Amino acid sequence: MTTATLPLAQRAGFHAPGVEIFQWPDIVHIEVAGIDLSINRVVLQMFVVVLLVWGLFYLGFRRPKLVPSGLQNVMESIVDFIRNQIVLEVIGRDGLRFLPYLTTLFVFVFFGNLGGVIPPVFFPLNGRMALPAVMAICSLLLFISIGISTQGPAYFKNALFPPGIPWPVYILLTPIEFVSTFIVRPVTLAIRLLANMIAGHLILTVFFVATGYLLTSMNISALFGIGALVFSVALIAFELFVAGLQAYVFTILSAVYIAGALEPEH
Amino acid sequence: MSDSGPSGPPREPPGRGSEMVWSILGTLVAGVLAWGGIGWLLDRWLGTRYLVAVGILVGMAGAFYLIIKRYGSG
Repeated sequence: MTTATLPLAQRAGFHAPGVEIFQWPDIVHIEVAGIDLSINRVVLQMFVVVLLVWGLFYLGFRRPKLVPSGLQNVMESIVDFIRNQIVLEVIGRDGLRFLPYLTTLFVFVFFGNLGGVIPPVFFPLNGRMALPAVMAICSLLLFISIGISTQGPAYFKNALFPPGIPWPVYILLTPIEFVSTFIVRPVTLAIRLLANMIAGHLILTVFFVATGYLLTSMNISALFGIGALVFSVALIAFELFVAGLQAYVFTILSAVYIAGALEPEH
Repeated sequence: MSDSGPSGPPREPPGRGSEMVWSILGTLVAGVLAWGGIGWLLDRWLGTRYLVAVGILVGMAGAFYLIIKRYGSG
């Protein structure tokens, strides 16, 4: 192969990171009945996040005081935020019984995302499909069971046959409603979170690798390295924002779906 | 029940602002997937080639109808 056929990045000695930055080798290989239950870095990170979230809530509310201080203050403001900005806004008073689920969801997604910008972790837990998929399925099962428990079997009738439409049109619309409610909702919920985290992790990795490469190159490129370094720091701040935003979006959409299951469309 | 509390306008359907946009986008995608899928299955069953395209168009039309019916009267 001549130099002309090589991609530019390889010719220059720069190796751009690809999908391999999302793949981790098994630390402990476990296989039960043909199902791979191996523990790799991502699984370990998940255990840490679970412990962290549990610990924060436990320590925050272990001895609650009337006038909160310290950690209790922080945890209360998180719960308040979900209560006022998501539950009361989207579902109303009726939705307060889902406050624990939505708060846990928000905090867990947020800390899962946060790994992407925290040194030395630098990997967003939700950059792998497993967790977003499981959480989206949880939200799906939750809003279906809420629909059945509040409206009975009529929930499926209300969900699949929108009111005020002449009956022959249902042949056209009911498949669309089915796919949109029970398939597109959870799939988009999971993919939106996953794609944001993948993109963020790729951008950060490319910028950091490029910064290192440019700064250590002994020519004029080192000047661009300074620019790349500044941008890397700015991107960390941006990814921090995305981590919070995506946790918020995941939670608020789950709340919207719960609200939709609580009362039939009119 | 819904006329008290700090929640916004009482009779809003779930989905204001950006949630409404997601819902509209979801309906469009669902229309194409549902009827495109039915067309694809019919193609496989009947050995034809064009029903996928017909299905996608039918699905888009249905999705537009649904969106207009649901959000158009606002």
